[in-house]
Amino acid sequence: MSDANRLDAKLQSALVARLTAMADDELILGHRDSEWTGHAPLLEEDIALANIAQDEIGHALLWLDARSELDGSDPDELAFFRDVGAFRNVRMVELPKGDWAFTMLRQYLFDAYETELLGRLRTSSYRPLAEAAAKAAKEEVFHLRHSALWIERLALGTDESRNRLTRALQRIWPYILQLWQPLPGDAALQRAGIAPDPAELEEAVMGRVSAALAAAGLEPPTDAIPHPGGRDRHGEALVSLLIDMQSVARADPGVEAW
Amino acid sequence: MASHAPQAGEGPRWEVFKQDALGKPHQAVGSVHAGDAEHALLMARSVYTRRPAAVSLWVAPAEAVFAVTAEQLADDDRWSVEDGGQERRFLVFRKTSHRRSMTFVDHVGEVTAAGPRAAVAAARQAFPEPPALAWWVVPADRLSASPDAEAEAWFDPAGDKTYKQQSAYGLLAPKKRDRSKGGDR
Repeated sequence: MSDANRLDAKLQSALVARLTAMADDELILGHRDSEWTGHAPLLEEDIALANIAQDEIGHALLWLDARSELDGSDPDELAFFRDVGAFRNVRMVELPKGDWAFTMLRQYLFDAYETELLGRLRTSSYRPLAEAAAKAAKEEVFHLRHSALWIERLALGTDESRNRLTRALQRIWPYILQLWQPLPGDAALQRAGIAPDPAELEEAVMGRVSAALAAAGLEPPTDAIPHPGGRDRHGEALVSLLIDMQSVARADPGVEAW
Repeated sequence: MASHAPQAGEGPRWEVFKQDALGKPHQAVGSVHAGDAEHALLMARSVYTRRPAAVSLWVAPAEAVFAVTAEQLADDDRWSVEDGGQERRFLVFRKTSHRRSMTFVDHVGEVTAAGPRAAVAAARQAFPEPPALAWWVVPADRLSASPDAEAEAWFDPAGDKTYKQQSAYGLLAPKKRDRSKGGDR
């Protein structure tokens, strides 16, 4: 019996929803990162961020492959032929790429979250998830080092770099709570030891982030009004991102290789 | 490209040394621009190890690398004037072959000397064979290494990235041809 068959129907559909959310975060963030290709402030960073974008899109594929084991869905179909209303990414990752400070801050916050998430998923009772998490976790060590380095350098650099980072923090902070907002099926996944406790995950991520910001002389904004709504609510930014990201696949839907 | 560039520009240049496997020497593979040593190591990882195998990286500020060719040594003995100063450790690199397409300058060992010129003289004595075409010496305290504890995270992932390999794209054209002929693949 495969690992997927051991889950009852309720757990299967809860896990499909969770995997879709995780994959969409990675896919949309990876695409936003890829928008810097050819435009990064340094040639070396251009290569580094393109590499990270590929890694994040690779992580999306890990989660979509795991979903495919459960419901037979096709990862390419999900990535390139779903409409905006069916995406389940957090708003944070779809926001336009902004300046380098915004891009690095978003990447840092997501890397901190992903590092803590993957650390917990490595001990998931659902083996395919634990194995995929172990694979992605290796790359995440490097991603976090890279984005954390930039947070420190921008915060302690010039007035300009610090102002830009502060503005980015104000822009992004209202969206951060969405990262651990539970989906309806998450409680069941948690009871089955498949996915972590969101409250405990939040505490771990916020502990890590607050310490890094404090070390750089920054504080999380206290007056941010959390963005309401769940992962099914998106902004115009995601519409235009999908038009761009899906255009090649949709131009020739029957193509067998590209 | 320049619109987002910080006023400070692209930062100093760093020479990058890559070790392909344990037991092999670190080899000079090129350079990166970066603001500091840690940033230089991260950039080196992205630029020089995405596809090729690697187990360790070193970086050193380009201005800390003293380089001299065999021709310079033969033509001009001013290089050998004693620099003076404190005895310190230098890492020694040498190029011994023109055979390969890249300019490999391999790590060969270490000497203690009062300055870079004296270090080259000591290196010639310590490592006479095979004859060197060029020597590089770098003060040991100017060199920074990728963290050994994170080697897996830095270098393993490149190994399973088929889509990063040029060869992974080789089959696309034949597949498309099959389809246009109505082939059943």
